[in-house]
Amino acid sequence: MAETAAPPATRALRLGVAGPVGTGKSSLIATLCRALADELELGVVTNDIYTDEDARFLRSEGVLDPDRIRAVETGACPHTAIRDDVTPNLIAVETLEADVAAGGAPLDVVLVESGGDNLTATFSPALVDAQLFVLDVAGGGDVARKGGPGIARADLLVVNKTDLAPYVGVDVERMVADAEAARDGRPVLALSRTAPDAVARLAEWVRTQLGAHRAGTHTPVDPGPMAPHSHADGTDHGHGHGHGHGHGHDEAHEHPHAH
Amino acid sequence: MSAELVALMLADARLPTGSHTQSAGLEAAVRDGLADDGRRLADVARYARDRLRTVVRVEAGAAVVARHLVLTGRDPLEVVVHWAARTPSPALREIAGRTGRGYLRLAERVWPAVLRHLPRDTETPRPVVLGVIGAVCGLDAAQVARLTAYDDAQSVVAASLKLLPVDPAAATGWLVDLHPDIEACATAVAGLTEPGDVPACGAPVVELLAERHAVERMRLFHG
Repeated sequence: MAETAAPPATRALRLGVAGPVGTGKSSLIATLCRALADELELGVVTNDIYTDEDARFLRSEGVLDPDRIRAVETGACPHTAIRDDVTPNLIAVETLEADVAAGGAPLDVVLVESGGDNLTATFSPALVDAQLFVLDVAGGGDVARKGGPGIARADLLVVNKTDLAPYVGVDVERMVADAEAARDGRPVLALSRTAPDAVARLAEWVRTQLGAHRAGTHTPVDPGPMAPHSHADGTDHGHGHGHGHGHGHDEAHEHPHAH
Repeated sequence: MSAELVALMLADARLPTGSHTQSAGLEAAVRDGLADDGRRLADVARYARDRLRTVVRVEAGAAVVARHLVLTGRDPLEVVVHWAARTPSPALREIAGRTGRGYLRLAERVWPAVLRHLPRDTETPRPVVLGVIGAVCGLDAAQVARLTAYDDAQSVVAASLKLLPVDPAAATGWLVDLHPDIEACATAVAGLTEPGDVPACGAPVVELLAERHAVERMRLFHG
């Protein structure tokens, strides 16, 4: 049965990458593939506005076997494709997993890249097990403060392109602090693909998610729709600020955020 | 189970079957010059009408026959080869298989009786899946035919809003004006019972454009 609510623990971890257009989702995926391709079997499904722009970028980066990068059409509805009707994406993910498994080495992680949409687009838990949301400093230091479901409740928030901060007049520490305040302790990672330490923390976060997925201790969290959001006990969950990895799924148990 | 409610659900674009990825060939036709970059929008309705007189009759006929085969204890997949022989474009057949799989995956969850007649999660052509859903949910032949025809016309009209400078209310007006053509298509195939009776009325231009679209790099829509 296609019962997505209780996936078999043996299949790949499905990891969504969402965030506004131009924040560096494709580049982040290429970076992750470079960092992890030697130790994990990786696949990618892209959801670009025009079929395969992102897929072509990733293939041209040479970080994965081109057959492990699949593109899905979204009918100009990238938001729908990852949220309201995940059918084409789910077929693409399952087909990719089956094709690679037939070659003898099943995938460990499938990265699903959303079409760059807007601040309100998040993945359905029927499609991915965990998701990260990508902002960048060049989009403005105030974006993290604006909030939204992805910023507030994705499993990981990435503040990308920190190397550009001096050129766009953004205070990275302030932007990360704003994001942490909006996330009630969930992890925030300041990232630049040219900063090896940050890339290592991102890779470690993925390993941690994969470990929890395999152990059956990971519970997908739905960032849910744009809605007022508060915790009476918010001060109980301020631990972990600045770690940037590792405890997203623990938070999930404490804050199920059922929609 | 109310057959009418099932028909309404199947006609609803909010049903999660992946229909948002389909333009019923309109994207390829627009790239080929249909509607002249928005200067001749009436082309859209004419395109939908031409489909209702050609390729949609093949689809609707196959759906009606698949329904009949289930209700008479036969294998609905008998009609597949007849549908395929009348759908010479491999790209169109691939699109029908992909969209059929979307309906089949949903049916497995909500109308599981469908799996008594079709193999699960396979690229079964969409009209065959629709016919089987119709059979197990009590839709009559005319409802199955009308649904298939309406869905195609609505796919064209809805996609035009994404592809051309179209006023949504004007587009809905096109759809209303197409009602006689939708009914004519449904009436033409509703009485079919044998796989060999499926009309052989393809449209070479639609098929050619589907082949071109399949290798086009800059696509919004799958088909």
